[in-house]
Amino acid sequence: MLSSLGNPRQAAAQLMNFGLILSTAFMMWKGLSVISDSPSPIVVVLSGSMEPAFQRGDLLLLWNRNLFTETSVGEIVVYNVKDKDIPIVHRIISKFGTGPTAKLLTKGDNNDSDDTKLYTPGQNYLVREDIIGSVVGYMPFVGYVTIMLSEHPWMKTVMLGIMGLVVVLQRE
Amino acid sequence: MAEQLLDQARDIFEGQIDFEGQKLVELLVNISLTLVGAIAFLVGYFLQDIKLAVYIGLAGTAATFLLVVPPWPIYNKNPVKWLPVAGVASPANIVIDETMLR
Amino acid sequence: MYSSLVRLQNTFGFFTTVAFCVALLISASDFLSDRAPTVNVLKTTQLQVVKGRADYYSSKKEEYAIIKFTLDADLSSLFTWNTKQVFAYVTAEWPSAQNNNATNQAVIWDTIITAPSSDHLGNFSPSKLKRLRKSAAGKGIDPSRGKLQIKNQRLKYPLTHPTGKLALTEDVQLKLHYNVQPWVGFLSWDQNQDWGKWKALKNGLSRKFTLPAIKTKEQAKKKTTTGGTRA
Repeated sequence: MLSSLGNPRQAAAQLMNFGLILSTAFMMWKGLSVISDSPSPIVVVLSGSMEPAFQRGDLLLLWNRNLFTETSVGEIVVYNVKDKDIPIVHRIISKFGTGPTAKLLTKGDNNDSDDTKLYTPGQNYLVREDIIGSVVGYMPFVGYVTIMLSEHPWMKTVMLGIMGLVVVLQRE
Repeated sequence: MAEQLLDQARDIFEGQIDFEGQKLVELLVNISLTLVGAIAFLVGYFLQDIKLAVYIGLAGTAATFLLVVPPWPIYNKNPVKWLPVAGVASPANIVIDETMLR
Repeated sequence: MYSSLVRLQNTFGFFTTVAFCVALLISASDFLSDRAPTVNVLKTTQLQVVKGRADYYSSKKEEYAIIKFTLDADLSSLFTWNTKQVFAYVTAEWPSAQNNNATNQAVIWDTIITAPSSDHLGNFSPSKLKRLRKSAAGKGIDPSRGKLQIKNQRLKYPLTHPTGKLALTEDVQLKLHYNVQPWVGFLSWDQNQDWGKWKALKNGLSRKFTLPAIKTKEQAKKKTTTGGTRA
């Protein structure tokens, strides 16, 4: 670990390798974003309001293009409410009108009432613009690590501890 | 004393195996995990039971980890035979070589 | 592969690759199974338009429709080993009065049909969970759950319109839809055309009907008290 500092060529190679991994991941993310026309093409489910379809920690693949049909009733969409940061994954239960001004109402499968209360006060409907993608693909459980790390800070400490132990126990 | 203990701990943690063992481990990992995946899928598909497929997959993977991660004696059957030091070198030289190897 | 740590990392790396490939195969196996959902009956049994608060929390008085319907459908072929749940829903659909292109579509009733593999995830009462467990009897798939036989079902969500007007709306149709939620892979919905082994949902539309005129308060009251459904 420390001896690599003594060898500038090796250190540089390691740095390059690390940078390559990061930029590849970033490129894939942005590429997917361009293809799906969604600012966030993959999202982790954070709430249980769509159970039993989606649990916390499941990964969702989003698609935000209307190639053949408009976004319509029954689709599960991710939307942003103005002035709120957290995107919400719920199902569209009614749609009045067509095109970008169609009035959309959403509801979580596991919730008793529709989302009117989640919207900003005075807002009764969503429009197409509020939606950042419709759910097309699903992968269970994979995103759970991010939830664990963000909700249980002690896990980060444990992980750092394990990494430190590995460094101590590893021979160069 | 502490240095010795740390060295022992490092030995256990490192769990080194010889070259033949490494080759064998590589082969074992590839074969067993592929086989586990195939069995899990086929059993799940024909019995139409996804839970069973997940359990088979996880159990098989756990078994594979147990098989290849610890330095079982089987992976240390062919220790590297070092050639004797050629010529009569002074002790100081050997020390230098060692540090260079490190 | 020299030290335990490297072996652990490499094995885990290959495990993720294998797991991803198996997941891909599982999701692809969906296309090998037949899907032939059928609808025998979908018809309205009661139509009524009332003016008032559609929900206890809604602030304005508007016209809302009370619809009862009967549904007999068989969605059991949608269940395979990769089905986590089927979300079946009935919508009311009608063209807009001003503009023929603009349509209105609203879910009036829905139900979540879990597969036996996801019963434990549902928000069910213990007695319902017990009943579900019993019906599956340890099997991975329980086709009997896909059979929907519903008589005189009241709507679950009040049917309203942003304009507040609903009375005498013409060409309203009920339609059955479904959404298949897989354990891994792509979500799918009811289709209008056959697609390989997946057949279109035929007969999923009710006859077109016209919503009646508003009931006066006295009439509505009388109706609801005799029906005993809405206070």
